[in-house]
Amino acid sequence: MNLGKFVERLLQLIPVLFGVSTIVFVMMLFTPGDPVDIMLGDQHVTEQMERALRHDMGLDLPPVERFFKFLGNAAKGDFGLSYYHRAPVAEVIASRLPATIELSLVALIIGLTISIPLGVLAAVKKNSMFDRIATVTSLFGISMPGFWFGILLLILFAVNLHWLPVAGRSGFSFEVEPITHLLLVDSLLRGRPDAFWDALKHITLPAITLGLPLASILMRVTRASMLDVLDRDYITFAEAKGLSRMKVIGKHALKNALIPTVTVAALQAGSLLGGSMVVETVFGWPGLGRLVVESIFVRNYPLIQAAVLFYAFTYVMLNFVADILYTVLNPRVKL
Amino acid sequence: MTFKKTLIMLGVAGAMALPTLAFSQELRIGFSADALVLDPANHRNRATETIIRNMYDGLVTRDSGMTVLPELAESWTQIDATTYEFKLRAGVTFHDGSPLTSEDIKFTFDRLTKENAMGGQTSPRQSLLGPLKEVQIVDDLTVRLILETPWPILPAMLPFQEVVSKSFVESVGTDGMTDQVNGTGPFKLVEWRKGDSVIMERYDGYYGGAAGIEPVGNACVQRVIFKVIPENASRVAALLAGDVHIIDNLPPHMVKQVEANPDTRVMAVNGTRSTYVALNNQSGPFADIRVRQAFAHALDRQLIVDKILGGNATLINGILSPDAFGKNQNLPVLEFDLDKAKALLAEAGYPDGISVTLDVTGSDKETGEAIAAVLSKAGIQVSVVVGESSMLSTRFRTKGEPIDGEMYLTSWGNGSMDPVGIFEPTHRTADRGNSSGYANAAVDALLDAAGVETDRAKRAALYSEAEALAAADTPFLYLWVAQDLYGVSNRLSGWSPIPDSRINLHDACLN
Repeated sequence: MNLGKFVERLLQLIPVLFGVSTIVFVMMLFTPGDPVDIMLGDQHVTEQMERALRHDMGLDLPPVERFFKFLGNAAKGDFGLSYYHRAPVAEVIASRLPATIELSLVALIIGLTISIPLGVLAAVKKNSMFDRIATVTSLFGISMPGFWFGILLLILFAVNLHWLPVAGRSGFSFEVEPITHLLLVDSLLRGRPDAFWDALKHITLPAITLGLPLASILMRVTRASMLDVLDRDYITFAEAKGLSRMKVIGKHALKNALIPTVTVAALQAGSLLGGSMVVETVFGWPGLGRLVVESIFVRNYPLIQAAVLFYAFTYVMLNFVADILYTVLNPRVKL
Repeated sequence: MTFKKTLIMLGVAGAMALPTLAFSQELRIGFSADALVLDPANHRNRATETIIRNMYDGLVTRDSGMTVLPELAESWTQIDATTYEFKLRAGVTFHDGSPLTSEDIKFTFDRLTKENAMGGQTSPRQSLLGPLKEVQIVDDLTVRLILETPWPILPAMLPFQEVVSKSFVESVGTDGMTDQVNGTGPFKLVEWRKGDSVIMERYDGYYGGAAGIEPVGNACVQRVIFKVIPENASRVAALLAGDVHIIDNLPPHMVKQVEANPDTRVMAVNGTRSTYVALNNQSGPFADIRVRQAFAHALDRQLIVDKILGGNATLINGILSPDAFGKNQNLPVLEFDLDKAKALLAEAGYPDGISVTLDVTGSDKETGEAIAAVLSKAGIQVSVVVGESSMLSTRFRTKGEPIDGEMYLTSWGNGSMDPVGIFEPTHRTADRGNSSGYANAAVDALLDAAGVETDRAKRAALYSEAEALAAADTPFLYLWVAQDLYGVSNRLSGWSPIPDSRINLHDACLN
């Protein structure tokens, strides 16, 4: 693959990140709500104390100066101190990121493993009862709000059946030394099947809640794409050659049918980051999404700015990955 | 044969010992927020303090009746208006075994009050210590706290601060203090899984705790875990499933669920948060006192408390909560009286009723709508508008600038139960919590005088007088002090909630 194209994409990042930073900064500037006031809450303070805190947080500078100071520091990799955690923002985000990545990955896996077989079968058995049920179910999957569905799952599996835990990422008797910071992977790498099982139980409900809308979308895409492929001449030709149905679908149709699925999945993976905010709050999952939501409510500006930059960067990269995947799967298309 | 028998006996003995070894001695709290940091000086957040308070003790603490009791201090005396002397207990150790001395006390308070004393930063808790000027070491176990100006509420404000170890802070630095703990509290830190949980275990060298809070000695449970579950429904689900043994912030509408479950029950305590409707005294219909009083007469507060809060609230007729210092127990009550309300409205120029807007935050929507429904009986049309709390704050808490709005359902907390923390911010002219634009120079003067009055009785009288004056002006519709609701497992004993929302687990036991 052309290195030049890769560099070109990286360079495109610059105006995107700058644009995103500016927009978010301006939005927060015009959003009412004063971080100092929120932080002080109901405490009784003198004017002098309030001014001191404001100065400490760097909020007594004029907005334009604040913005360029932030940009200048960000370019050096210094995103400032979180108002609340009193620690560098990059550190705070980095500590919460693995949880979200793990959740998103498992949700993505669930999404793909459910949607692809269902989509293929629905296409193959077009207009059958199975197809109709699958289509309606996918409609529900996209329409059900995450917080509602998540709490339903909680009540059923955690409270009534006691099969799965209610919240959190792991039980408290399990300590696994991190390697990748993904609990599921690390517990296997460290030879701790009990910790793996515990982590799996904790991630199940949130990942299903997060993965369900994705699965629904991908199922539809797979089905439509499969229908399109099955209609093509080369499939008719393969069938005419006498190849079994299984071989036709499995070997010839599937690979091409999956191209849109995979590219949509790569694009949708970005939206998993957004959806994780609701799911993480419902399930007490200690990830980045919940951190960002909490930060917005308390106007923790440095953290919001840095998190948004991170999301923008991730989106651009995921788009790029989708483009690459597409060219790999479909050699007729060039980047 | 004997060897086999011995083995069997050992096995049986071991099996009997097993239950005490197992983590049935692990107390879990479903908590609505995570700690921001674990450094007692580097935050300004109630939830953080609640968690930290189990690992770090303070000079003084409060019991469940909100009385200030000596904790690390053995006793204290006030030498003069600006000097307090504290005698420390002997034999107190930090979790690393090092002894507590007055050096640590001086270091703790210097770190809290001096500019840039915390690794180049100033402690955000500095203002909680008011005019504290310096700490003098008298001897190994005696210190003197010296104030700039008289500050009668110093003892009431000291429970907010916890004592750190000088040598420990010097070795790990402020950065290290964020997630490492070396305190004098009944529990020591095992692990902080950020965003997820704080895991603590019993410190077996604990000095025993405040003498006035029984039982004294080591903590009852072996492990304590604060599990972070911000979502209300999930937190309640965790309690009902037996995953946690205590939850905080139980919403009133979920009380029935917790009571109905055979393994759980609800515990309530008088809160410290006064809820009221701020009325725009500056302009619009509420600039007229008759309209304000009409609304007070038209509002059946007890009905709302019974229906929406399940009876878990106490009505107030002034800003101070019933148990607060200086509370005026003889405030006039603007009783529920529809005829009087309508008459006052007619007198003020609204014979055919009036239309107003009530701004609320999302969590208060139900209460706001109940208020609207009740007021409609007096010919008052209230439209309830939901907004985000910090945006509403900006519109109403204007520090004297024009207010954008008419009615605002809000509250103000008072963790120290001292009037200065609630009366001043909400009623003083142009103060930061004044969401009604109320401006009464006489009240301001009384508040100023009370702020420096060292004689307790005189001080209480000043606040009572101020409360009476303010109530006569009816700048707010004073509503109630809601109880803080907690859900607990029936296996829990030795713990009850405290009005300052601390969750101190020293004496909590799990059966």
